[in-house]
Amino acid sequence: MELFFQYLLPCLCAFAGCIAFTLVFNIHGPGKLIAGCGGGLGWLVYLLVGRTILAGFFAALAISLFSEIMARIRRCPVTGYQLVALLPLVPGGGIYYAMRYCLEGDTERFLSTLLDTLGMAAALAVGVILASSLFRTAFPLLLRVRDAAGRRQP
Amino acid sequence: MDSDKLLNLAVSLGCLLAESGAEISRVEESVYRLLNAYGGEGAQVFAIPSCLIVSLTAEDGRPVTRMRRIGAHGTDIELLEACNALCRRLCRTVPPLAEARALVDRLPGSCRRHRPATVLLGYAAAPAFFCPLFGGGFWDALSALFCGLVVGTCLLFGDKWLGRNSFLRTLVCSGVASLLSLLLVRAGLGRNVDVVTIGVLMLLVPGVALTNAMRDLVAGDTYSGLSRTAEAILIATGIALGAAVGLGVGQIL
Repeated sequence: MELFFQYLLPCLCAFAGCIAFTLVFNIHGPGKLIAGCGGGLGWLVYLLVGRTILAGFFAALAISLFSEIMARIRRCPVTGYQLVALLPLVPGGGIYYAMRYCLEGDTERFLSTLLDTLGMAAALAVGVILASSLFRTAFPLLLRVRDAAGRRQP
Repeated sequence: MDSDKLLNLAVSLGCLLAESGAEISRVEESVYRLLNAYGGEGAQVFAIPSCLIVSLTAEDGRPVTRMRRIGAHGTDIELLEACNALCRRLCRTVPPLAEARALVDRLPGSCRRHRPATVLLGYAAAPAFFCPLFGGGFWDALSALFCGLVVGTCLLFGDKWLGRNSFLRTLVCSGVASLLSLLLVRAGLGRNVDVVTIGVLMLLVPGVALTNAMRDLVAGDTYSGLSRTAEAILIATGIALGAAVGLGVGQIL
């Protein structure tokens, strides 16, 4: 039961929220499901690693790899799946709390929240950059290996 | 081969791609492939988020160039996928230019779109589902649903009053979101102002700009990446300012 409330329910919420966002970005058909699964997967990784900036990095990595693979399979641009699945991780809360502390005149907490928000955004960015670069390098190699294996077999 | 017509075709397709939210490298590569498929000589393409420049060598050796300013960016994944598929098809089959032109012109009109009511449903449902992620309960999610409905209406139908300035639009929507969350929590529907507000603000966060910026930077388009990063920072500032105004007004009321 604890497992359900700690992991399963949040992931389902992220999944449903991402599907709701596909309506906003005009995604149709199987793309909806892919974006939703990406969102759920990303949030699961984020929770498992422990809701830190490092967790954000790993979640972005997982989301990017997942959406790159799905995009290659469907021969579609990867942008749509990736940006929807990343949305739950974008530090909206950080922006809000930083603003509140700033208004209350609590400079110390304002600065620490601001840095935390920037760190989270940077972690997402680095995750996306790393996964995309890796995929760009590795994918042509994979294709070549597969083609070579296919030629040998028949 | 009529190089003027080819140039117009390539620029139209590139513009459609950019306006539907494609990365810059995809715009440049698609236009370049299209020009090469039609045998355009000396094809050169340069794009940044607000401008597309395409250059060709005409049959008589004259260089011809066309520049087009790219207007407001939306995110329309279905149109993006359709453009991408059409570009692949044109490169593979190379139909006559007039036919290709008709196909490109027909694209924006024939693309599937969700009805406004469905989009509004998306705007309402997303904050409601995101609320529990930030520690909200059922009643918080319900208040976020109402706020999302109002903010979604502002985003969908507010073009007339808010103009096309995305900074101002974000500021106003964020103000409405925080004020409404405060009022709903005071009325006793929601439990926690912070959670409800954050849930609704997720509709406005610069996730799209951030992701696109990163994808551009990876592809080596530093200019586009930087300009989109600046856009993301600007949107984030707009959210913070708007929420501050909303909270201030709410505390006075």
